[in-house]
Amino acid sequence: MTATDGLKIKRNLNALVEFSKAVNSSLELKFILNNVLLTCMGKFFATKGAIAINEKGKFKIMVTKGVAKDFEDNFPILTLKDVIDENGTIKNITEFGTFVFSELIQASDKNLGLIFLGDKLNKTPYSVEDQQFLRTILNISATAIQNSMVINELKKVNKNLDTRINRLNSLFELSKEFGLFADSAKVAKLLVYSIIGQFMIAKYAVVIFENDDINIIENKFPSDELRKYLDKNEYEKIDSAIGAEKLKSKYNSLYNLGVELIVPMQIQGKTKGIILLGGRVNKQQYISNDIEFIYSVGSLAIISIENKRLFQEELEKHKLEEELDLARDIQKNLLPRNIKQLNNFEIAAENISSKQVGGDYFDVIQQNKDNCYIAIADVSGKGVPASLLMANLQAFLKSVCKQEISLVEGTSMINDLISENVTGGKFITFFWASLNDKDKTISYVNAGHNPPLLIRDKKIIRLEKGGMILGVMKTKYPYLTETIQLQKDDLLVLFTDGITEAMDKGQNEYSDERLDDLVKTLGDRSAKETLSAIQKDVKKFTLGAVQSDDMTLLIIKVK
Amino acid sequence: MTEFNTSIKNIGDVTVVYLNGFLDAHTAPVLENTFSDLVEQNKFKLVVNLKDLIYISSAGLGVFMAFIEKMRENKGDIKLTSMNEKVFNIFDLLGFPLLYEIFDNEEDAVKKYGGEKK
Repeated sequence: MTATDGLKIKRNLNALVEFSKAVNSSLELKFILNNVLLTCMGKFFATKGAIAINEKGKFKIMVTKGVAKDFEDNFPILTLKDVIDENGTIKNITEFGTFVFSELIQASDKNLGLIFLGDKLNKTPYSVEDQQFLRTILNISATAIQNSMVINELKKVNKNLDTRINRLNSLFELSKEFGLFADSAKVAKLLVYSIIGQFMIAKYAVVIFENDDINIIENKFPSDELRKYLDKNEYEKIDSAIGAEKLKSKYNSLYNLGVELIVPMQIQGKTKGIILLGGRVNKQQYISNDIEFIYSVGSLAIISIENKRLFQEELEKHKLEEELDLARDIQKNLLPRNIKQLNNFEIAAENISSKQVGGDYFDVIQQNKDNCYIAIADVSGKGVPASLLMANLQAFLKSVCKQEISLVEGTSMINDLISENVTGGKFITFFWASLNDKDKTISYVNAGHNPPLLIRDKKIIRLEKGGMILGVMKTKYPYLTETIQLQKDDLLVLFTDGITEAMDKGQNEYSDERLDDLVKTLGDRSAKETLSAIQKDVKKFTLGAVQSDDMTLLIIKVK
Repeated sequence: MTEFNTSIKNIGDVTVVYLNGFLDAHTAPVLENTFSDLVEQNKFKLVVNLKDLIYISSAGLGVFMAFIEKMRENKGDIKLTSMNEKVFNIFDLLGFPLLYEIFDNEEDAVKKYGGEKK
């Protein structure tokens, strides 16, 4: 061995030790590969070089030196088969232009990658010695390369895990928040913040389908256009996410607004709203994991919004029912509980209040030993307002009954008082009469109420004399009145329109004619029996259909 | 206990916003209000100091997304400074360093606006 040879070996060894230190000091794959490539190029005076790394069976270029920029893009997809032949011999891959020499990077049984080298500067071919040296360098660096590849893989797995944990946290956090907030606007805001924060999105909209309406609660797209392009019937049918490609072909107008993803918000498979998202600021595509997350938060949000709506509805229904109970109570307390019986008149009366509580009213008020007032009225409207007006009427009526004034004067007075006290087109139909127990007479005034029927010998007389309904304007013309001498077995039927307008399921009315026909046949019955006979007949007619108005009857039978 | 609050300091035409506590779905509206107020006052050059921010969730990050365009349209920006490692990891995980300038300290971030003016 000559002295020069010795020096050469020593220099080679020194270089190897230096190299080994360098590559093993780092876990950065790029740094290691750079080092390997530069060392080889320096050693062999090669002007070009590249290293490809084996990623799941495919070799992908990681570092290049001295080659054109688009080299990496044009690099063919190599698999192990391209690199090693059937006999396990490593092929020399040089055919894509630039390189003259290649070598496999191996660690124990694994093929980590490929190194390619170009022509030597002095154009001499690679010698066997060169090849051995290259193998030595690759052997030294293989462990470091393998370690850094494992670390890279771990980092990737970790990042995926972190992303998943982050998303789970978001879901958990939102499910907590959605339970607390009162209004859907806030829920929608949190929903979009979570989504745009997670995916870095600048343009978004949240649209909810309510009854026949499209409600855009959050929007960063041009809002007029968005509204124009949204058709509830069409979008309600969206039952899975729609990506950019399908948007481009099917919902082009939305795509042109910048919408790249539509995710439905569903409750039990029914689409109640949609989330529209623009592209991600980092230009990444939405992958199925992303869409799943958006679908989950969207569903959480819509459930919360829907629950709030249902709760509100329930609350209002409850309120309404309470109000109706109150109205029913007022009405019950206004109507007489025990009806005074007279010597010559038998009186029976009953009010059946409807679900909505109409404004029916009747009363029997003793004036003095011989005279007794009877009254029946129907206040317009329903519920609490109607019952309050009814209470007013009763107060006025009771005070007027205490005065020694005529029915005509009394009616005028009550009308004036009611007119002063009502607003908004409310009115009362009102009939009242004075029964004289001694003379067996009835005097009455009818202020627009359904004419009571006087049945005598199967003939009907309608008690129609009177005037205008109460509450429309102050009394201008005096009300008319009539006094009738009654006979034994005369029957008086006072009723409200709830009776004659009672409906069956086919929306047919009970009608005046049917009532007329019925009452003619009731001649030999008592007041109470007459009352229940009419009620029964109405019931038979309606066959259980729900009635929208009160039904009131007041029956007088002359003894 | 206040879970989250913000405070503000003006340095020239730059507004420094200090975040304190937990920024999550529950407290996101607080930051949203702070940013909305600043927009109303035509203050678009923001430096957000995250020194005392303990935790941030995606809903919190969403607030930054919701306002960044507005600020930039008005020749301003949202620059972030002084975040602790845990908070940075979340920003990093979701790719925010790509879109937002992040500084180690407040002075550098404020100075960057001065530099942009020249």
